[in-house]
Formats: sequence, structure tokens, C-alpha cells
Amino acid sequence: MQVEQERHIKTAVKCEGISKTFETKRGKTYVIEEVSLEVIENEFVVLFGPGQCGKTTLLNILAGLIPPTKGMVVVNGKPVISPGPERGFVFQSVSLFPWLTVMGNVEYGPKVRGIDKETRQKKAQYYIDLVGLKGFENAYPNQLSGGMKQRVGIARAYCNEPVVMFLDEPFGALDAQTRYLMQEELIRIWETEKRTVLFVTNNIEEAVYLADRIILLTNSPVRIKKEFVIDLPRPRDYTSEDFLLLRNTITKMMDKTL
Amino acid sequence: MIVNKRVQSSAAAAVSIFMFLLIWHLATRFSELGNILPSPIEVLTAFFVGFVVPVGTHTMFVHIVWSLSRVIPFYILGSAVGIVLGITMGWYPKAEAVFRPIFEIIRPIPPLAWIPISIVWFGIGEGSKWFLIFLAAFITVTMNVYTGAKVVDPVIVRCARMLGANERQIFTTIVLPSSVPFIFAGLQVGLSSSWATVVAAEMIRSSEGVGWIIISSLDVNDTVQTLIGIVGIGTVGYVLAIIIRGIESKLCKWNKRGI
Amino acid sequence: MKKGMKNLLLSTGSLTVFLLLWWICTDILEIVSPRTLPSPLKVFTTFIDKLTNKNPDGGTLIMHTLSSLRIALLGYGMGIFFGIPLGILMAWYSIVDLFVRPLFDLLKPIPGVAWVPLMIILFGIGLLSKATVIFISAIVPCVLNAYTGIKQTKDVHIWVAKTLGATNTQMLFKIAIPTSLPYIMTGMRVALGQAWVTIVAAELLASTIGLGFMIQQSRGMYRPDIIIVGMLTIGFLGSFLTYLLGLLEKAVVKGWHT
Repeated sequence: MQVEQERHIKTAVKCEGISKTFETKRGKTYVIEEVSLEVIENEFVVLFGPGQCGKTTLLNILAGLIPPTKGMVVVNGKPVISPGPERGFVFQSVSLFPWLTVMGNVEYGPKVRGIDKETRQKKAQYYIDLVGLKGFENAYPNQLSGGMKQRVGIARAYCNEPVVMFLDEPFGALDAQTRYLMQEELIRIWETEKRTVLFVTNNIEEAVYLADRIILLTNSPVRIKKEFVIDLPRPRDYTSEDFLLLRNTITKMMDKTL
Repeated sequence: MIVNKRVQSSAAAAVSIFMFLLIWHLATRFSELGNILPSPIEVLTAFFVGFVVPVGTHTMFVHIVWSLSRVIPFYILGSAVGIVLGITMGWYPKAEAVFRPIFEIIRPIPPLAWIPISIVWFGIGEGSKWFLIFLAAFITVTMNVYTGAKVVDPVIVRCARMLGANERQIFTTIVLPSSVPFIFAGLQVGLSSSWATVVAAEMIRSSEGVGWIIISSLDVNDTVQTLIGIVGIGTVGYVLAIIIRGIESKLCKWNKRGI
Repeated sequence: MKKGMKNLLLSTGSLTVFLLLWWICTDILEIVSPRTLPSPLKVFTTFIDKLTNKNPDGGTLIMHTLSSLRIALLGYGMGIFFGIPLGILMAWYSIVDLFVRPLFDLLKPIPGVAWVPLMIILFGIGLLSKATVIFISAIVPCVLNAYTGIKQTKDVHIWVAKTLGATNTQMLFKIAIPTSLPYIMTGMRVALGQAWVTIVAAELLASTIGLGFMIQQSRGMYRPDIIIVGMLTIGFLGSFLTYLLGLLEKAVVKGWHT
């Protein structure tokens, strides 16, 4: 049994000794220091920790949006040097193209890569339905609510059929109620269309609800403090004993600094 | 009584304009002003009469057509070139480095100040007017579009890159659409600039057009003519502005912009 | 080579090429007659000469410049003196808005130039008619921008003030006007540009002194070199005045803008 399972495990994302430094008048400042991690195919990994910029920077490096000062990132066996369609990214801020409709946004990736109209629109429609926005294909972003906009963002990244999905605090700007709903939605979508996911958040509930594995990070500089495997069955209950136990354990380990 | 806000403001506008005309009228009838200024009734009558009876050698309508025939083609041409140059300068730093210095020297010179040199270069006929209108539109539109292209949202550009767009696609699918609101802002200002320029050019050297109506009124000492010229200029300018705003609201449904 | 340096060289290069081409076309190859386009060297020498030379139009460059500046600033000063309070009142008291705004909308589309003949009829050729036309063109942007600025006053701030017991007048002076300052400054900048354009226009049509008059006269006297000197002076002064106003703007509005 175990041997068969091992043969199926494939590494999606791997990075070794990632560091990011900035030159200031006082010398080198380390934003990220010697981070190495490995994510298996279709694993939902959450990067969790206090503070603002460090986690986002790490995510950006892993996705290829910015280069590391030291170290290398490998996704699906290939080194990462620039952004690209195999690494889908959902940004925290609203980043939909305001002059395109929902359909226009979601089909953008396949469109610029040359896929014909019929195929790509069918694909886009599938993902629009999947994120629960059927009927809104011709709406413009300025007609949508915050939650709806982020759903379009997710559909847009998904539609390009990336190998890995990177999400940078996508629900940060939403109200608490919508946030809970979106977390449930995201798990539903992910379970329908499995992908490798790297998700950044500073909300402990969100982390425990979503993750297969939580990587707890320090802030300034970012280093891996500890990893937690969350093997609670899904859908998870925010109020169950196991959930609360994990939540408290991790919170206690967190750096209490800004 | 619930009065709709729009009805309220239209009513107030009507009252206000009526009061203004009334005061004007009374002032011309009962005071010294009447010796210099005609009453509003005279002006408005003459304005409409002017569409049938020629003012000078042409009717009001023909004069307006003359002015428009100068403005419209060269405004469009100047704006088109301005859009191309503005986007290029805004998005490609090398283009900016090459064109900006010359542009910065030319930009602060008002199109009106080009009138004398334009006449030297192109004579007193239509050519000089076409050049000036082109210049007015070109300078204004370039400036606005350049500013717009420089502030394309970098997050959106990053999204497009991440989704797989190459450099050329980023230019056509991201930079161009996001510049559209700025293009329209430029077109609005460029239009009023072009319209003011053609009026000025006609006032200085021409034999027809709305600007001519005003300046020739001095020669024949006809104040009514002066005022109908002003009414004509204002009305056409206003209509042109509305047309551009209408086109913008059709093309920019996705952008809620203020006035 | 660093990008900044490269671009600086490109800029300098293009300017040099432009001047060289100009010079070659006029002085060297003589493609263009000096009656149509003088060489850049001639323009420069004429500039130096005209600073003190009254010929051929009856005034030195300095005299014309001072005259234009004097009248422009006079009309401009009146424009901002009346325009800004009017805009503020229109925005704060809706009664004023309802009745004054339509009149403004009627005035707006009429270019400043068009008023010149009427002013000549009323006041003859001279300072008053020119200053009045400038006043009219300067007042419109001042009113519009002051109006927009006051309208930006945040409801939240008003509510806070009301709960603290402020009167209507106090709110106007302590909240609305400070909020509108950046817009008022923009309005002053636009009005300055308009005023400068209008003085030139008025002088082209009906004046015996001033930069506009100078370039108009020079055309009749076949002195395109003076025309170009005049144009560059007009452009430079316009820029310089705007720059000065920009310094004032920075001093007044520093740190306020959200």
C-alpha cells in the first residue's frame, strides 16, 4: 500500500535556500532568510504568520513575479524565472480588467495564448459556473460586489489551467460574513478541480479551515518557524474541539510582533 | 409636495436665465447701457433671422458650417496623431526620452501665439487655420494621453503577464483600453482648445466664419452682430462638447467618471 | 549603462539633432528662406538685441513682457478674488447653486477670445477691455474647481462637526474650505494658463503694446525672427508662472492629501 502511494507523490513546487535582501544605507536587510520548502501535487498549503510584506514577497518569488536574491524555485520540474501561465495568481487587491466583462476577464488567459473563440468561451463558461457566477457573464467589474470580484479573479486564474495556484490574502478586503462563505466556496471549487495551492493569510481560522499543511512563518525576516499538518476531514467545523485545539496551538507558537 | 430634483434644477435654471435676460432688457431700456448694448430681444431675434438673412455675405448657418469645416477634420487628425504619440511616449521610456524635451518646449506656447508664424508659413488662406487647429488638438490630446499611459495600473499589468500575455499583447489589450478615459479627457479639452483657436484665427484673418462675424461687427459698428456672434460661438461649442460626452458614455460604460 | 543615464542622453541627443536640423535647413542648405524661417542663431541674436531694441514695433522685449504680465496678472487677480469665493458659495449654499450655476453653464463654452470685440465696444482699446476679458476667462476655472473642491467634503467630517456642535459657518471655514484647498489650487493653476493665453489673444487683436502685439506686428514687418523670440518668451513665461504657482501649491497643501 505505502509503496504504491509513494510512487504517486509528485513534487509540484520546491524551493531551496530562498533569500531576499534589500540594500539600505545601513547595509543589507533580509526580508526573507533561507527558506526551503516543498509542496506536493494537489496539496493545499497555507503560508501563515503575522506582519504584512514578508509573506507576500515570498509568494511573489515562488510564483516568479520577482526574483530571489539567492536560491532557486522549481515548479513542475522547471526553474522559475518569470511570471507565466503555469503559475496562476490571485492578487489581494482588485485586479480585474475594468473594461472587460466577466467573460472577457475569465477568457483573457486562453485568448492571449491563441486558443480559438469557441473552445475558450466554453472553458471560461465552465469556470464561471464553477465559481457560482452563472448569469453574470456580461457584467462589468464595477457592477460586482467584492466577493463576486474575487470569484472572477479565481475563475480567471483557474481558466488558464495552471499547474499551481497562488493566492495572496484574496479574502482580506471582504467583510467577515462574506469571508466565511468564500472560504467554503474555495474548498468546494478546489475539491471539484484539484490543483496545487499556495495560500497566504494572517487569519488563523482561515488557515486551519483551508489547509492540508500550514507553514508558520516569522516576520522580519521571514523564516520557517514550524510546519503543521492538518488532517481534519473536510468540510471542517470552525467550532469543533480538534479545530480549536489546532488553532490555539498554532496561535501560541506565533511571534507576537508586528 | 415631493418635487423631483431634476425638475427643481431645471425650473431654477429657467428662472435664473429669465431673470438675467429681464435685468439685461430693463437695463438697456431704462439706462445709459441702452446706448451701447442692444436688448436681449433684439439679439435673439437677429440670431434667428441671421439663419435666413445673410450676415455679411453668408447666412449664420453657412458661417457656422465654414467654421466647423475647418475645425472638425483637423481636430480629428490632430487628436489621432496625439493619441498615438501620447500612448507611445507614456508606455515606452525611450520614446519618452526622445520626444519629451521638444514637446516640453512647444507645449507651453498657446496655439493662439502660433497665429502670426502660421500665416507667414501658410499664407492667409485656409492652410494656416488648418495648421493651428491641428496643433491645438495635437498638443492637448498628446499631453492628456501621455499622462494616462504613464499611470497604467502595474498590478493589472502583472496580472496580464501572469496570464501569459507577451509585451505586444500587454500594449494592445491593457495599455490601450486603460488609456481610454484619458483619451476622452484629452478629446474634450482639445475640442474646446481647437474651437477657441479657430475663432481666434477667424477673428484675425478670414472672410467668413463665426469669428469673422464678431470681428467684422466692429467695422460696421453693429453691436447686435457682435452678440449674435457670441451666441453662435457659445452654442456650437456647447453642442460639440455634448457630442463628445455622448460618445464617451457609449464607449466607456465600464468607467463611472465624473463630469 | 544605467537606464536613467541612457534616457538622459537620448533626450539631450534628440534636442541637439532637432536644433542641428533646424540650423542646417536654414543657414547651411538654405532650403527655407530666412523670411519664412530664421536660423536658430538668428533667433538667439535677435533675442539679445530685442531686449533693449525698440525697433521695429516701438517697444523692447522687456517693455512688452512687463505690459503683458501686468495686465494678465491684474485680470487674473480679479478672477481668483471673485471666482474662488463664488465657487465656494455656490457649492455650500444650494440656493446660490441653483440660480447661479445655469448662468455659468451658459458662459462656459464661450472662449475668452470671443469677448474681445464686445469689450472693445464697451471700453475701447486699452487696459480695461483686456483686463476684463482675462477676468472672464480666469474666473470660470476658479469657480468650477472651488465648487468641485467643496463638494468633496466628506459627509463623515460634517457629521463629526455637527455632533461637536459646530455652526454652519464654522463647518464651512473649518472643514469644507480646507478640504477644497487642493482643488482651489488646481483651479488657480488652470486659470493662470487661461489668463496667459487670453492676454496674448487680446493683444493679437487690439493692442499697441505687449507680447501678442509684438508678434503680430513682426509678421507685417517680415521679421519672423522676432515672432519666434516672442513665441518662446510667451511659452517660457507661461511655464515659469505655472512653476511658481506650483511651489505655492506645494507649500500650502503638503501632507494634506489623502
